[in-house]
Amino acid sequence: MVRHMAESLFKRYGGFAIVSRIVSDFYSRVLADDNLRPYFAGVEMPRQIDHQTKFVAYLMGGPASFTDEHLERVHRHLAIDEKSFEELVVVFRETLEDHDLDETDIGTVVAELTSRRRLVVTRADS
Amino acid sequence: MTDADTRPGSIDESVFRELAQSLDCAVAIVRADDWKIEFENARFFRWFQPGADDSDSLVVRIADLKLDRAKSRLEGGRPFTFDTKVIIDEQESPLRVTIAPFAGHEGSVYLLQAHSTSKEMEVQYMLDSYSRIAEKNAHELEKEKERVERLLLNIMPRAVVDELKEYGTATPQRFDAVSLLMLDFVGFTDMTISHDPSAIISELNDIFSAFDRIADMFDCERVKTIGDAYIAVSGLPESTPEHAANIARLALRFRRYLERRNQAHPQQWLARIGINTGPVIGSLVGVQKYVYDLFGPGINLASRMETASEPMHITLTEETRELLKDDFVFTSLGEREIKGFGTQNLYSLDGELAGRRF
Repeated sequence: MVRHMAESLFKRYGGFAIVSRIVSDFYSRVLADDNLRPYFAGVEMPRQIDHQTKFVAYLMGGPASFTDEHLERVHRHLAIDEKSFEELVVVFRETLEDHDLDETDIGTVVAELTSRRRLVVTRADS
Repeated sequence: MTDADTRPGSIDESVFRELAQSLDCAVAIVRADDWKIEFENARFFRWFQPGADDSDSLVVRIADLKLDRAKSRLEGGRPFTFDTKVIIDEQESPLRVTIAPFAGHEGSVYLLQAHSTSKEMEVQYMLDSYSRIAEKNAHELEKEKERVERLLLNIMPRAVVDELKEYGTATPQRFDAVSLLMLDFVGFTDMTISHDPSAIISELNDIFSAFDRIADMFDCERVKTIGDAYIAVSGLPESTPEHAANIARLALRFRRYLERRNQAHPQQWLARIGINTGPVIGSLVGVQKYVYDLFGPGINLASRMETASEPMHITLTEETRELLKDDFVFTSLGEREIKGFGTQNLYSLDGELAGRRF
């Protein structure tokens, strides 16, 4: 049901063109954030942004798919805590706002993201 | 040079100003309370020129600044980033502007930085146009796939289409409780010779299209047409306990449709209809030009019933009548020799008992 509703978001906002813009902007914000930057130390950013563009496209119902197992596996060794995840969600939300997505749609996409919290957060707050 | 000289705090203010002035990006310091510009470097001045009124208000200098959103973000201690465009040397130039709390000033001033994103935009533009092409192609492919699927669904059941897509082939399947209808027109060959053939074919097309709609209403499906013959089935691919009654009703409705049509048209269409119940095998036949078809003695017997039928009658065997006798009305036709099936008691189906009469 949610998949179906989100389906139109990807198309409605103009497909990969807008998603890649959002994600590229999102990462410049993440890397400017002192708390989030360390998680990306040594990460090949162009590759990361490419991945994440597909992931956000997926959250918006676009043509890409990520299994829970995959998400869980790639985040397992990162020891991400609740606080950092929350912070990332805030930055993500702000980025969507600044790209003029509709408030309801932002809610939908952010909810898609936060529903995957348990796959990403692997550590209690320090 | 002493230690004190190398500490950032000890840099002379004029050195700092010189440094800021020579930067490639635009820098400004803005007061938090009234959003007035307290300091700006040369690049900022060039990109966001003060108008005739020589304003030092940031809102005037950056006309498309969303002040409400910027305020709520910064008052929450968060940076605010946005894209804008300025005209430099008669060229529109894209910029990214970030306004952030200025460390060490307790929210009393904000630091604004802006840099050109022309190069990024060039790449983005290229990416946009390529992804549009890719998405358009993907969309067309999707539409084409749907079209192919619709075509396949016209000639075979969905379960077979799915199996064919998944495995590239479909295994024959046995259906035990199935009823069949076979219909063809009396003197069709003569009709095409003595009349305008294209007009006759067009009428046949109308009739078969009407039959398809009726079949849909009675949970029956057209298997195929061969020339002027129309073959329908009920109980396949999904089984139904009503298969015999469905086919009987279909036969009565077909006849009724033709009777009414004949009253209104000069061209008379007289059909023989045979119905029969029995097991059949459904299978795809062919490799390149495949077709979904039904096999088994049940099919042959339905065809014999049609041949044995008088014009505008519906003929069936004793065995099929047994399944229908509580709900339908029949006339006995007596014993007949049926090729390949020995002597059979035949009946003609006249109407339905309860409900609507045909």
